[in-house]
Order: sequence, then C-alpha cells, then structure tokens
Amino acid sequence: MNAIWEKIKADLFRHRIVSILIIGTITIAAALLTLALSTLLNLGGPYDRLFAEVNGAHLWVFFKSGRVNTTDIRQIQTLPEIADSTPRQYSYRTQVRIDDTRAWVTLRVIPDEQPVINRLYIVDGRYIFPEYGEVVAEKSLDTAYKLAVGETVTITRSDGRDVVLPIAGIAYDVMYDNYRSEQAPYLYVSESTLRNLFPDKDTWDSSLGLRLSDPQAVDNVLAEIEALHNTKFVETHTDWRDVKESALFEGQLASIFLSAFGFFSILATVIIIVSVVNSTILSQIKQIGILKALGFTGRQILLVYVGQYAVLSLIGTTLGFLLGLTLAPVPMQAMTASLNTTFRPPFSLPLFISVYLIIAGAVILSVLSAATHGTRTNIIKAITIGAEAPRKKMFWGARLANALGAPVSIVLGLNDTFVKPFRSFLAGLNLVLGVIGIVFGLALSDTLETYKENPALLGIVYDAIVTRQQVSDHLTERRLMKAPGVEAFYGELQVKAWTPDERTFKVRAMDGELDQFPFQILEGRFFQPGTHEAIAGKGLLTWLGLEVGDAITLRLEEKDGPAATWVIVGVYPEAADAGQRLMVDLSSLRRLVKNNDPTTYYLKLSPAADIPGLRSYLSPRKDSAISLVTLEEPIPDSVIYLQAAIFALAGILIAIALVNVLIMSLLAAQEKMRTIGILKTVGMTPAQVVVMFNATAASLGTLAVLIGIPMGLFVTRDLLSILSDSFGFGKISVSLDLTQAVILIPFIILVSIFGSYLPARWAANLFIVRVLRKD
Amino acid sequence: MTTLVRVSELKKKYQTGEVNFEALRGISLEIAAGDFVAVMGQSGSGKSTLLHIIGGLDQSSSGWVQVGEHRLDKMNQTDLAVFRRDQVGFVFQFFNLVENLNVQANVELPALLSGAKNKKEIRRHSTELLERLGIADQAHKHPWELSGGQQQRVAIARAFINSPRLLLADEPTGNLDSASGSEVLDILGEFNRQGQTILMVTHSAEDAARANCILFIRDGRLVDHMPGGDEKAIAQRLLELR
Repeated sequence: MNAIWEKIKADLFRHRIVSILIIGTITIAAALLTLALSTLLNLGGPYDRLFAEVNGAHLWVFFKSGRVNTTDIRQIQTLPEIADSTPRQYSYRTQVRIDDTRAWVTLRVIPDEQPVINRLYIVDGRYIFPEYGEVVAEKSLDTAYKLAVGETVTITRSDGRDVVLPIAGIAYDVMYDNYRSEQAPYLYVSESTLRNLFPDKDTWDSSLGLRLSDPQAVDNVLAEIEALHNTKFVETHTDWRDVKESALFEGQLASIFLSAFGFFSILATVIIIVSVVNSTILSQIKQIGILKALGFTGRQILLVYVGQYAVLSLIGTTLGFLLGLTLAPVPMQAMTASLNTTFRPPFSLPLFISVYLIIAGAVILSVLSAATHGTRTNIIKAITIGAEAPRKKMFWGARLANALGAPVSIVLGLNDTFVKPFRSFLAGLNLVLGVIGIVFGLALSDTLETYKENPALLGIVYDAIVTRQQVSDHLTERRLMKAPGVEAFYGELQVKAWTPDERTFKVRAMDGELDQFPFQILEGRFFQPGTHEAIAGKGLLTWLGLEVGDAITLRLEEKDGPAATWVIVGVYPEAADAGQRLMVDLSSLRRLVKNNDPTTYYLKLSPAADIPGLRSYLSPRKDSAISLVTLEEPIPDSVIYLQAAIFALAGILIAIALVNVLIMSLLAAQEKMRTIGILKTVGMTPAQVVVMFNATAASLGTLAVLIGIPMGLFVTRDLLSILSDSFGFGKISVSLDLTQAVILIPFIILVSIFGSYLPARWAANLFIVRVLRKD
Repeated sequence: MTTLVRVSELKKKYQTGEVNFEALRGISLEIAAGDFVAVMGQSGSGKSTLLHIIGGLDQSSSGWVQVGEHRLDKMNQTDLAVFRRDQVGFVFQFFNLVENLNVQANVELPALLSGAKNKKEIRRHSTELLERLGIADQAHKHPWELSGGQQQRVAIARAFINSPRLLLADEPTGNLDSASGSEVLDILGEFNRQGQTILMVTHSAEDAARANCILFIRDGRLVDHMPGGDEKAIAQRLLELR
C-alpha cells in the first residue's frame, strides 16, 4: 500500500502542470454543478425568506361589504388552525391620479407602526408617519406607473375635493398577487387618512390576514371560515402559495434555463473528466506496462490511478463547491431583484453530497474504464508500442492537405488529429459543447430581437392600452374611433370565473375589431365572434388538464354565479404571465354578468402615431376619465438577464474547451517528445512545430464548429420549445444570423489554436539531445 | 582540400542540480571537405556531445564551431533548424524515424520541411536514394515493419535527401547485427568516395577503420589522432588511451 501511495504522490508531482489543469477543470465543473443545483434547490428561497422576515399571512380573506361583524372576526381568529391573525383590516377601492393617468387602487389601512403579521417590506423610502397623511405604494403600482418616493398621488375625496398625498415609501407586500388578484394595486394609508378621505366607515371593505399552524391547510381553513356563516360573507381570498407562484414566475423562467445550464455543466464535467483521465492514462500506458513488468497487479495499478484522481477530484470539487456557493446568488439575481431582496443560498448537506457524488462518480467511473483498458494491455505491447500502434493510413484531411500542396508541418498536424482518435473525439466534443453554448446564446439573442420587433409573438398584439373610469363604454368607443393615430381597437372585460371544482381564474371577454390584431394562435384557431368558442392560455390548459376541442363550463363572478360553457378552439401565447386565462367573445357572456361593458381597450396605432397628441386627445384634462398607457418593454427583464447569463455560460464552456485543448495538446506534446526531437533534428523550425500543433487544434476546432452550429440550433429550438410549452410563449423558428455563424467559425478555430499555443511553444523549445536520449 | 568544419576551443558544461559536469574541455579541430573522420573514446568521453554541437543539436558553453560559412554560435534556434535541414544529415544508433510516416515520407521529410515546391523532384530524388540503398520495395512500409538494417538505410536516405555538406553519424551500427552494420558502413564509405564529408562517432575499431582519420577523445579532450585503415592498430591505440 505504501508503494501505491508513493507512486500516486510521485505521479501527481511529476505531471504537475497536468495535475493543476485537471484540478482547474474539475473546479470549474464542480462550480457550475454547485451553481445549477443550488439554484434549482433554492428557487423558493428568496420568497420564503422574505415571507418569514415579514411574518407573512398564509391566507388573506376579503369579506363582502357589510356582511362581517366583530363576532365573525373573533370566531375566525379562534379557529384551531389559526396560529395568529391581523386585526380586521379596512380598505377602500377608489381611483387615484398619477401624473396624467387615472388608476384604480385599493387604499388599505395599516397601523401607525409596522404590523406584527404581514409587515410591509419597505423597498424604498420609509413607513408612513400617520400624522403626515402619507401613503406607501405597493411595488406593482410602482412598476406600472414608475412612482418615486417624494412624488404625490391625487385622490378625490367623497366630498369631491382633491387631496394630494405624498408617497413616503414603496413596499413589497408578500400577499399581493398581481396575477390572480381581484384587488386593485395597493396604496397603504393610516386609518385617519382614510377617514379623512372617505369618512363613511360603512362603505369600507374589510379583510383579515391569517397565519396558519399548517401553512398547507389553506383550503380547509377557508372552508371552515365559509361554514361559519349562513350567508356568503367571503368575497375572495388570497392564498400565499398562489402569491409565491406568481412571485417565482421569473424564477421558474430562470430555472428552465438553469436546467439547461445544469445539463451543460454536468455534461461538460463528465466530458472533461473522461477526456483528461483517458488521455492521461493512455499517455501513461507504457508506464502501466512497466509497472506490470515490475510486478504490480492489475488491481494495484487501478488503485494507483483511482487514488491519483481521487486526490485531484477532492481538491477540485472542494474548490469548485466553494466557488459555486460564492457565485450562487448570481443566477437568482433577476428574481431577487424583482422581490427587492438579496438571497444567498445556504450551505446544504444534500447539495454538498450531490456535487461530491456526481463529480467523484464521474471521475472514478472514467478512471476505472480507462485504467481497466490500460491494465489489460499486453505488457510487451504496452512497453514497446504504447496505447495504440501507429496508424498506417494517413487521416484523409492530411492526405487532402498534402494533395493541395499544404506545408508539411500542417499535413503532419492534421494527421496528428486522429493519432489518438478517442482523445480527439472528447476534446472535439468539448469544443462542440462550447459552440452549442455560443449558438444557444446567439440564437436566443436573435429570438429576443424577433420578439422585440414583433411582440405579437408573445401575445402582445396591441400598441397601447386605454382604461375608462367615470365615462361610459359607448363614449369611450366613440372617442377612440375618432382618436388620431388609432387604426383599430377592441374592448375587454375581465370576469372572475370558477371551474366546477372551484378553481378560479379570469376570463377575458373581448369585443371589437379583433381581426385587425395579429393574435398568435399556437394550436387550433381563433374563436368565431358571436359563438361560445374560446381560446385559452397554455398554462390554463395544463392547470386544468384540458386540450383544444374540450368544453369548459364556468360560473361567472361568483362561485355560484351564472354558468356558461365554451368550447376551447385554440391556444394563445402570453408574455410574462402563466397563461392561466381564457379569451372569449364578449357577446357570449353579456347576458350573464351585471356590469358587462369593457373597461379596458387595446389599441392598434399607426406607425406614425403621435403618442403625446393621442394622450392629450383622450385625456385633455388632469381629471379626464380616460387614461392611455403605451406599451414599453414586452420582454420580461428576467429573459434579458438570462440572455447575458447564457453568454456567460457559453464563455465558461469555451474556457473549459480551451483547457481541454490545452491538456490534449500538452499530453500530445509529452507523448511525442521524441518525434518532435526527430523532426527538429531533420530541420523543423520552432515556428513549424507551433504550426503543426496549431493545425491539429484548428482541425478539431473546425470539425467542432461545423458540428456544433447545427447542434446548437437544434438544442436552442428544443429549449425554446420547452419554454414555450411551459409558459405559453409563441413558437418561432430559431435561426442564427449568417454573419454570426461566419464569425463563429474562425473564432472557435482561434480558440482551439490558442488552447494549443502554450504546449506548442513548449514543444518548439524542447532540447533535442535530451528528448532523443530519453528512450 | 578546403576545410569544411572548424572547431575552436570548444567547451561544454552541464549542470545537474548542484553537480557540474564538463563534457568538453577545449577541443579544437578541423575537418576537410570530403574527409571521413571517426571519433572514438569511452562512454562519457564527450564524443557524442562534440557531434551534437557540430550538428547544431546542442550549443557550446564556450568556443565555436564553423561549418562551411556557418558560425553556429551566432545562430538562433530557427537558423540552427535551417542549418540542420540544409547543411547536415544525421544518422543515429536508434534510427530515429517518425513512426507514423512511411519510409518514403520519412525520407522526404527534410526536403518537404525546406518548403521545396517541386514535389515531383523530391519524389524522384527519394526514390533514387531508396533504390541506391536497396530498399525501394519498402517505400510504403512503416518503420516498425522493417528490420534494423533496413531502418538504418531509411535513416541514411533521409540524411542525404537534401544533399548535405556534412553527414554526422552517431554509432550508426550500434543497434545492428554485424552483417547489417557492415552494409551500413559500406554505404557510408561509398558516399564518402563520391565526396561526402562524414563525421562518425563509434566505439568499434572495425567501424573506425573505414574512416580516413580517427580522433581519440578522453575526458572531453582531444588526446590523439591517427589514420584509418588498420583496425588492430586502432584497437590497440584505444586500449592504450584507457
């Protein structure tokens, strides 16, 4: 055993540079793996941490106006599953003017000091001073209207007077669901401020935030609450799990890419390890023969190599794990930024074990496979010939180059590409992986450009949105018909709907010049006006387990409201939502709901439309009842951020490939030291030696880029297809700009040449006499 | 006769760790063009080092070597490579052929490295050499498929492909049986008779006897010289110098 350990130590120190490079590649691979796994394991981490920090409510129950009293509240608060409760919280739904725009908001009363349950997470500014009559705006309101601390909002009091309220802070509410919520965006005020604005407390709505002993028991608790009263007194509710899902949407988007990220990193890890171990062991095959001749058994030889690589992988994995943990917050940056928090994934034992097992497993398996091959080699053959007998036939590429009159150093270099075909294959594969990464990044970039140029692909078929307040649908439509720059418009009414199994979502009832808008249909077709046909978001179909052609019966406005049935005839794409909506013709539900006129209008503008002119036409006065919001950035920030991340990943993969080419070239240089000595003896100049090595690397790079580009396009198409299927994005054909492809070819060849340059220089400077004496 | 090789006060020191070793301790000599010189001495006497420095494979610590008009100590690595390729042919004890190239490709290698454009001319010349050395039928075989004697003939053909002014042979028969060794020496002798300058390092008095002049080296110094031809006298002198 002592002899084995001595041999392990001697080998590690003798091949110092190779050992360091192997540790380097294992470090990179382990870091990537740690990064990918920690992101996947901690996706919910930022929200959970924030939820815990603000002592979030698991269930928020909103009561119908005037249907709940103090006794009811007490009864709810004393239910056995309730761990803690907010006091009864009052709110009032009204309109607010922000600059030129009017918007519906919910004024929610908050205590004079931060509440114990469901505290506001102040993102900017501070909590209110009640005596100042200030407000705190929920972050979604800030996102929509770009509010800033110090600015003001104007609210018309019940007596008709305008009151200007300064914004003291922007806050994130862990229980505001901006996708499924019935609630208009929140403005938080003190009770005295609300009383000053709307003194009639009977018109106030009330709600209760509850912390549950079992956070998963939301449905049961809700059923118990509803059972407390004979009449229906629960208007709606917010489930913390839904809010979390909405909050994590961007994180989920990130997770799709990070799954690809993880897949790439694991593949790169395995390729590097197999490549390096095979190369090293094959390059030491003569040594294996000598060890066998000296009396080492096959098992002892295996132990020597497993031991060597176990030491290297232990060092590399530890360094990589630490590096990965350090970088772990980076991939979650987009999500944590949207939650306005920071998050560092904690050290976790499963993560630690997973990374070590995967890396160690890959190392040991590849060592065993390569070393077993080595130990089975005939002793005499191993000592005299090495791993493989020299190839008799020249590589076809070398023969072609020779026929074309290429310099002999290039011909020899090309021929060397296939002297060790397996090693070349693995190094080439690693380069291919790098090319795939780059193509993925470039194709994603092109795809995003296409989305930007044509937002309809993301389901954004309009140029601007108009909302109406105290003005009728009829008047709004008349005004829009005459509005300058408006080519077409349609109105939309959002109605809450219940499935038979009481799942809720929103139905978009549409009316207008729908045929003028480029609605994208992923599957099936658009609904026929005047029919009970519907198109659904992909997320809704997945959620409800439906397909195109299925019928869906929904109750509208109330859980026991009027029912109607629609046949789903198509699937539409959605940009940043989960696609859990249904689009129907407004006429199909007009008779079923009370307020059945559209409240929002989507406009198609002429290319030369004058937006300020249109805005002043629609909203001539500050208190105008029609507001215009123009569309700005249709691509979610997280996707843009991920694009940069993908390029970073491609860079890492290229760096890994570079290291692999370097190792391959170094091993090749070490193996053929004697040949290099002979070539130098007969007159090969140092520059010709460098050219020979570069030709080998360049031929690998060329093959890799030619294989990598179509493979990259294939991978990108599949990944975007997964993204499209999961989130309801529109499907578009993935393409790579020809110029980029043309630039990519020399780039990868140069990277390969760069990887081989140092070993080539080393080989060029070999001392001839010493290498010729070696054998 | 003109002098082809001039060696002046040539010294070579090696350092291995803290141990200094002086392989050559001030050798001066001249070799005329068309001469066949053998260098003899015990193992470690410095004869191969002398050959390597004259061939531009190694560099001296002091002193200088001039081959024709080329002062080797003034050359950089690229110049030395070009010098080796164009001015010198090497024949080694262990043949030193490139394993994954066939016989013809091995022979043509120095000519191709010089960037010669006329590949047909190179092929004609290499074929002529292989025929002259009696191995034309082995042209498409690889070195490991040949006997030692055949491999050494390939090495000789390669050494002559660029028509060098100087042939350096380091123990050319050391790895051959006596019949093959004798054939190799016959070939070298024949080239010499046609004007080829040859400097050969050898342990063998029989081989050295083929040369016109024998130089004796001991402990890095040139200690004696004598004409070739008499194998017994050479062996006797070698014995005396031990």
